[in-house]
Formats: sequence, C-alpha cells, structure tokens
Amino acid sequence: MNTLLIYFLFIPLLVLILLALNLLLATHNPDAEKVSGYESGFSPIFGQTRIPFNVQFYVIAILFLIFDLEIFYLVPFTVSIYSISSYGFSIFVIFFVILTIGFIYELGNNVINFSTRE
Amino acid sequence: MLQALYLLLEGVTVIVPVLLAVAFMTIIERKVLAATQRRVGPNTVGYYGILQPFSDALKLIIKETVIPAQANKVLFYLAPVLAIIVSLLGWAVVPFGTGLALSDFSLGVIYTLTLSSFGIYGVLFAGWSANSKYAFLGSLRATAALISYELILSSAVIIIIVLTGSFNYTQIIESQIPVWFIVPLAPIFILFFIAILAETSRVPFDLQEAESELVAGFFTEHSSIIFVLFFLAEYSSIVLFSTLTSILFLGGYNCPMIFINDTYLNLESVILGLKTCIFCFMFVWFRSTFPRIRTDQIIKFCWVSLLPMVMAFIILVPCLLVSFDWIV
Repeated sequence: MNTLLIYFLFIPLLVLILLALNLLLATHNPDAEKVSGYESGFSPIFGQTRIPFNVQFYVIAILFLIFDLEIFYLVPFTVSIYSISSYGFSIFVIFFVILTIGFIYELGNNVINFSTRE
Repeated sequence: MLQALYLLLEGVTVIVPVLLAVAFMTIIERKVLAATQRRVGPNTVGYYGILQPFSDALKLIIKETVIPAQANKVLFYLAPVLAIIVSLLGWAVVPFGTGLALSDFSLGVIYTLTLSSFGIYGVLFAGWSANSKYAFLGSLRATAALISYELILSSAVIIIIVLTGSFNYTQIIESQIPVWFIVPLAPIFILFFIAILAETSRVPFDLQEAESELVAGFFTEHSSIIFVLFFLAEYSSIVLFSTLTSILFLGGYNCPMIFINDTYLNLESVILGLKTCIFCFMFVWFRSTFPRIRTDQIIKFCWVSLLPMVMAFIILVPCLLVSFDWIV
C-alpha cells in the first residue's frame, strides 16, 4: 500500500461521484432538436464534420514526435552530468550539433509555414 | 485496512484544499478582470461574492446534460474525465513544506511532464467525439499548440535539472537555498512562463477558445457536469503550474530560518502559497492585458523563435558549468 496508489484510485472515484450526482439530481428529457449538433441555427449538413484538415497540423505532430524524443535523450545526460567526465560532455555536444543541423534543415525547408500565399 | 483509510485521509487533505484553491482561482480571475475593466464583478453571493464559484458549481451539477445525437458517447464522457483526472493527479508530488508531500517521488519532474502530455488526449478526444465542426477545429488547433509548447516546457525544465542533478522536487528546492533559480536563469524563466501560458491555454494563446471564431472551441458541445470537469481541469492546471513555477524558480517553501517550526502553523506552506499567488495573479493579469494572436502565429512563434532560443540555452548552461570547472 502506498500513498500514490491510493491517490490514483481516489481521484477517478471522486470524478465518478460528481458524474453520478449529475445523473441523480438533473432532469433528462432530450428531444430531436435538443440533441442535434450546434451549428448556427441550421441543421448540420451530413459529412461536413470530421472533414479533411490542413496537412500542417500533421506535419507539426511528426516534428513534435522527433523533437520530444531528442529532448528526452538528453534527460539521462542531465542527471549524470556531475559524474561523467569531459568525454561524456563532448559526446553530448556532438549529439546536440547533429540535432541542430536537423533542425536547421527543417526550418530551411519551411515546414512550419501555415499559409501557402507567402 | 486501517492503513488504507489513513492513506486515503492523506489524499483528502491534499485534494480538498486544492479544489478550494481552484474555486477561489475562478473568483480571483473574475474579480481581477472586473477591477482592470473598472467593473464591480460578482458581489452578491456571500461576502464580496466569494461564494460565487460554489453556487455556480452547484447550479451546473443540477443542469441537464445534453449529449448530441451524432457524438461518440464513450469518448464524449471520457475526454473531460481524463482531463480532470490528469490535472488533479499532478498534485501527488508537490512538496508543500519540508517533507510535506503525498509522495516524495524520486522522478517527480518526469511524472509532472508525463501528466501534462496526457492532458492533450482530453482535448483531442473531446474535439473528435463531439462530431461538430467547431469542436473539431478547436481541438486541432489546441493539439498543435499544446504539443509544440510541450517541447519548450520540457526543455526549460531540463536546464534546471542540469543545475540540480536530480528529478526530485524536494532536492530541487533544497538546492535553491543559496540563490533562487530565477536569478541565474531569468531568460529560462520567461521561456518557461510563456510555455505554461500556452500549456494551460490562456490568453494570449487561447486559440482553441477563440469565441469569435469557434464558439467555445473543443468543448462547444459539452454541457453541465462534463463542462464543469473541463473547467476544473483548466483551473486546476493553472494553479498546479503556478505552484510548479514557484517551486522551480522561486525556491518553493524556502524561507528565512526564523519562520521554520514544527507546530501546526506551518509558515513554509503559507510562503509557498504566497509565491503561487503571484503567478496566479500574473495569469489573470496577462489575460486582461494581451490581445489574442492567430493560430499560425502561435505555432510559428514556438518553432522559429522559442525553440532555437531554448536549444541555445541547453548548450550554453552546461558549457558555462564546464568552463567554470563545476563539472570536472
């Protein structure tokens, strides 16, 4: 038994209690108009939701994936920085130079650009 | 069994003040916004309106939950539940005083970063499951901004870890006894604060809630209690990130020796609370001061301006340590 485990069980329970309170106390009488999607007073047109979206959002997600991995490769370095010698430090610098070259290549290819007019 | 009850009591003693702090954060926001705009703000319920958030919460609990017919029901409920659980779980590793943490976890910083990454799923699920144009666009924009600023946040934290050499929050606070990290790392503090403004999606980065374009962003279709859960999650993460900023940069519960005692009146926690209040106020202050910027500007600002800067600091700080012979 440790505190974190109890806390991890307790928080979802608290949220479920809140949801149950709403279920018990609130009225529920939906009708066709009430449960229709919100769309400026008209009925939503079928097939317009979940539309194809700008590919830039996808590109940013891919860039994030690579960069987050690279930053978390630095995490072991940061905690062991006082026990590795200057050899470990020079390896870190080489790793970081490669990372920077990749980043400059990405910026040079203009991947962050959202608008196509520029 | 008795031990489990005791541990549960420990959890309750953390979560009840946290929920109260979140409630008072909402009333602080409304009062400060009113003051900056020369209005009175809420002043009817309780003295000076301090009971307003409780009456709002009770009202929203007894409202009808309307679930759109086209929505994906399971994800629609799961999204706000996930958001609130993740933002409340972050309080498990926060030290409120010397040895006053639910869990003095040795990987506290990693734990916090992981939970803040998980918060993105709530936004993503909400926008996808509601099956509405506004919610979908709102969640796309929010996800892009959140994951971009996640990088700035974790990089800024990594620079602090370089100085402390530990992921443990208590050890980070102990190493700030000679000097608070805001003094040597002032530029990092600015980058970190910009990142947490974006992570909690506050003005000027609140593009997913751009009312004039997207109604209410990813929770357009959420009503009553599931809206309350999103609202609680947002304000809980504001208070949590304010606390973390004061722990990482303002020395947490560090205070002059005369204030430290073993009685029930623990002044260390009060000092941590006061430091947190400064940042909570700054969140509201920024909201009343800055205009909102466009979604592509936010992404571009992150990747073209902030990320090269934070990468430069990641290489600069260890190089300084090496050149002054702190790392042999």
